[in-house]
Amino acid sequence: HPWETVTTAAMQKYPNPMNPSVVGVDVLDRHVDPSGKLHSHRLLSTEWGIPSIVKSLIGACRTKTYVQEHSVVDPVKKTMELKSSNISFTNLVSVDERLVYKPHPREPDKTILTQEAIISVKGVSLSSYLEGLMANTISSNANKGREALEWVINRLNAEIEEFTASARGTVRNSMAAAAFVEK
Amino acid sequence: NSVGEACTELKREYDQCFNRWFAEKFLKGESAGDPCGQLFKRYQLCVQKAIKEKDIPIEGLEFMGPSKGKTENSS
Repeated sequence: HPWETVTTAAMQKYPNPMNPSVVGVDVLDRHVDPSGKLHSHRLLSTEWGIPSIVKSLIGACRTKTYVQEHSVVDPVKKTMELKSSNISFTNLVSVDERLVYKPHPREPDKTILTQEAIISVKGVSLSSYLEGLMANTISSNANKGREALEWVINRLNAEIEEFTASARGTVRNSMAAAAFVEK
Repeated sequence: NSVGEACTELKREYDQCFNRWFAEKFLKGESAGDPCGQLFKRYQLCVQKAIKEKDIPIEGLEFMGPSKGKTENSS
C-alpha cells in the first residue's frame, strides 16, 4: 500500500482484532514543529486477560499496563517514525520499540517498515530465557502489526464505499421522489 | 477507547476531526490551520484528569495545546 495509506491507517491502528489487548489510546500531545513535522505523544493502555479472580484480588485498575508512544510524521520526506516504551513495570523490564515507515524506493505503491526492539530485563536471573521469549513475541507481533494495518485499511475502504453507495442511493431516492411528485 | 472512560466520547469526536485533517490536509502538505483545536482542548482536560486520578506515571510530558504556541496549563 502507498505510504499515505499506511500512515493514515497507522494513526488509527487501535482497536483492531489482531491486538485485542490494547484497550485504550489517548493523545497526550500533538503539534506541528517549525519544520512541518507532526509530533504526537500517545498513551496506550493494555489489558492482558488476567483471570478475574486475580483481578478481584489486586484490583482492576492495576491490571492495565501502559505504553507511551512518540510518533513523528514528515509529509515532505514521507517518513513516519514511532518510538514506544513501556511506562509500567519499568523497575523490571524495559521494552523500547522503534518503527519507521517509508515509501518503497523502487515501487511507489508500497511502503517499507523497519522495526527494532530493545529489551532490557533488570535483576531477573532467567533474563536470557525471558528475553528470548519476548523477542519471539515481538517478531510475531511485527507480522500481526502488518495484518492489523491491512485490517484498518480494508475497514477504511469499506467505509468509503458504504458512504459512496449511500450517497448514490440518497440521490436516486430523491430523484425518484421528485419524478413522482412531478407526475 | 480512552484511558478515562468519561473521555471516550470527546476522544471520538477529536479523532474523527484529526483523522480527516491528517489524511486530507496534512499529508498533502497543507499543515497550516488545525481545525481541531477546540475539540482537542476539551478532550485533553478530561484525559489529564483521568491520568491524575489513575496515577499513571507519565514523566516529562507537557500537556500543550495543539500546533502553534504553548498555552500555559493551570493544573
